[in-house]
Amino acid sequence: LYRGGLAERLCRLQNRERSAISFWRHQCISDDKIPSDKSGVLIVKILEIFEECTIQVAICQQLEQSPATLSPEDALINAEEPILKVLFTRETAAHLKSRPQDVIHIYPPWQKLLLQNADVPVIMNTYFSQKVLLSEHSEAREKTYGLTKMLIRKNIISLAQTFRLDDLDDKLQRESSDNQVPCAPQTHNNGGSKQHPSALSAVNDSLLEMVESQGAVGWREVQVRVVIQRVYCLPAREGHRSHTQGNKLLCATPVTNSDPPNVRLCLLVQDAYGMFSEVQLQFLSSTDDIEQYCRRWEGKSCCLAGMKILQRTTRGRALGLFSLIDSLWPPVVPVKVPGQSQDCEMMTTNLPPPSFCYILTVQSGEIHVEVDEEEQISNLYQPPAVRGLKEILQIDGCNERCSFWAQVLYRRLQSKHSVPVDQREMLLFVTDSTLQNEVHGVPKVVAVSVTASCVLSMEIIEALSAGSRLVFFKDALWGNGRIICVERTVLLLQKPLLCSAAGADLSELTGPVRLDELDSTTLANSVCALRGTVVGVNESTAFFWPTCNRCGNGKLELCPQDRELLYCNQCSEVVTTPVLKMQLEVFLSCPSRSQSTVKVKVWHEMALFVLLTMLLFLQTYEVQSVLGKEVGLLNCYVHSVTSHPNCVVLEEIVLL
Amino acid sequence: STLPAVAEELLREIKKAFQETSQVPDDLLLGLKFIFGPAAVPALDLVDQRSVTRVRAPSGRILYQVLGSSGKLYTCYSSCHFCTCPAFGFSVLQKSESLLCKHILAVYLSQAMGTCQELAVSEEQLTNILLAEEEDEG
Repeated sequence: LYRGGLAERLCRLQNRERSAISFWRHQCISDDKIPSDKSGVLIVKILEIFEECTIQVAICQQLEQSPATLSPEDALINAEEPILKVLFTRETAAHLKSRPQDVIHIYPPWQKLLLQNADVPVIMNTYFSQKVLLSEHSEAREKTYGLTKMLIRKNIISLAQTFRLDDLDDKLQRESSDNQVPCAPQTHNNGGSKQHPSALSAVNDSLLEMVESQGAVGWREVQVRVVIQRVYCLPAREGHRSHTQGNKLLCATPVTNSDPPNVRLCLLVQDAYGMFSEVQLQFLSSTDDIEQYCRRWEGKSCCLAGMKILQRTTRGRALGLFSLIDSLWPPVVPVKVPGQSQDCEMMTTNLPPPSFCYILTVQSGEIHVEVDEEEQISNLYQPPAVRGLKEILQIDGCNERCSFWAQVLYRRLQSKHSVPVDQREMLLFVTDSTLQNEVHGVPKVVAVSVTASCVLSMEIIEALSAGSRLVFFKDALWGNGRIICVERTVLLLQKPLLCSAAGADLSELTGPVRLDELDSTTLANSVCALRGTVVGVNESTAFFWPTCNRCGNGKLELCPQDRELLYCNQCSEVVTTPVLKMQLEVFLSCPSRSQSTVKVKVWHEMALFVLLTMLLFLQTYEVQSVLGKEVGLLNCYVHSVTSHPNCVVLEEIVLL
Repeated sequence: STLPAVAEELLREIKKAFQETSQVPDDLLLGLKFIFGPAAVPALDLVDQRSVTRVRAPSGRILYQVLGSSGKLYTCYSSCHFCTCPAFGFSVLQKSESLLCKHILAVYLSQAMGTCQELAVSEEQLTNILLAEEEDEG
């Protein structure tokens, strides 16, 4: 054995104890009566016995006095007597041969242990125990019992039940029979401890420390204080409904598969050491709340508790996440450096950008995130830097996050009808004053691609289809000459209160919006304006159809009652005055792109079309009357541009 | 079941006493003997000799390695009670006679008293430690 260590000490104590036990037992046998020294003796009556490992556990009732001194009538079970769990070693149990209803005297030194979540105290170190025989009958019974073996239930202990040593909140009372004075005041925590955030241990300010000290098992008690840099939604596969209560998030029951796809509210947080972490909170039931969360939570401090580590990801594996982190680097205030004293902080100029990030998630059933909504915005918070589109288009790098405020002119959904509307990719054509006011060098309108991974709230979707809107694009991605909205990009209808804006208010557009004119540089999937002369009409593709004058429904049916009338399913009414819409492809000769054949699909209520409907109405439609007509500035979407044959196919559009 | 809660409480008491006084009082040592029986003294000896190492991988996965008296290295899991020593297989798994073997008890005591050695390894190395045990038994 190691010299001077705990093992050696226990050996000595154990030897002493063993001698004391054998001495005491010997004394009991030879004296054959109850020892007169009554102080510290525990008198118990056994109610039930079972075994766990080699320990015998006896559920007992503590008696005030020895039943030998009471009359048989008095020696009934008094329900008010306290219950104890008395543990005996295998050796003591063999010696006692206890059975239910037996009365045992337990002599000091015994130990009492109070468990955290249980009311029943546990008595240990019960070596000096003796069974008390009440009467002659008992003695005879005892002899008989000694021969027959009693079956004792044995509990098998699960290996999964490990011991947690790190609850810093427990204050227990330990009584030893030698020392009648309790060593610590009894607390009121014993009757079921609730996980109350205020009772948790001191708040830490390092994410890394917490992660490293707790490992993948998950945290429980420790709180970490962080700053919320960004709030956004990520699309998610499984769903769990949740609801918020004030500034706390609770997790409720999982949703069934029939519910619409859910999104998950996420926070990008940063601690005092500058380290980032993405916290995936529980799911939102309606995506409308994202704007509210951004407004209420971004820039505020919050305490995280009970997080589970989902993943440790690196720059190479999570480009999207790190492009967002890079946009927040370097920190705007000095951050702490681990290892140095609390007071010493380092300037941020030399710190390299983070190369890894922990993704955390909540454990269900508990309150985890407490945001100090009333508190001021943290100094560490970096609001999105709003830039003009002109500036963004001139960015040199790739995968850079950018935020801007722009007017959405036209929206084009991808044409895959098998994909639900809210998961479709779309193209938004946007502009701002920095683009509109330039004479040349920059395009007047820019296409912003919105991928399916960019979560849009219902509000935004409706606004985009309704009319021309000013939309704030937060943390869009610029790369390869394109602006795309991906995961972690948030589209908002209102400009956030805090954002570092550049110069003049870019949202003000003076005058009507102008598009670039069709020319040799026009590319497919863009918008432009054109003017020209009608040189031909593609009669084979021309058709017209009636639409409902109330709702615009283009799929009218014949009325079942009267097959000469039209019926609208959406309005559930007969359409008496349908609006005729026509689709026609015309070939134009455009001076701005004179080498190309320009084919424009025009349809309904268009400038060119007014002429044609009039003609149709009069039933004197003639192609000749259209040829040679001048077509004034049409706004079009470019479907395709081919060089062989040199052809541009466009479609007339209405700007929002 | 009662015993695990009792054992846990006892270990917590030891941790608390050690944190407050840098000592473990006699009655707690005797309590260890009472609950864990013959494993108590050998476990304390392992702690005295700083035989317990906490092995940690970057993912946060942890396991413990205990240098036995014979010089052999045993692996103890952190997520459940398991040890690769033969005594665990016999006393705990087969006979259900003990809650823990001396190595697992030594792990807990080392945690309580902060005497775990720390070792950081790569994911691959940790996996190899776990797989190596399988190969031996196979």
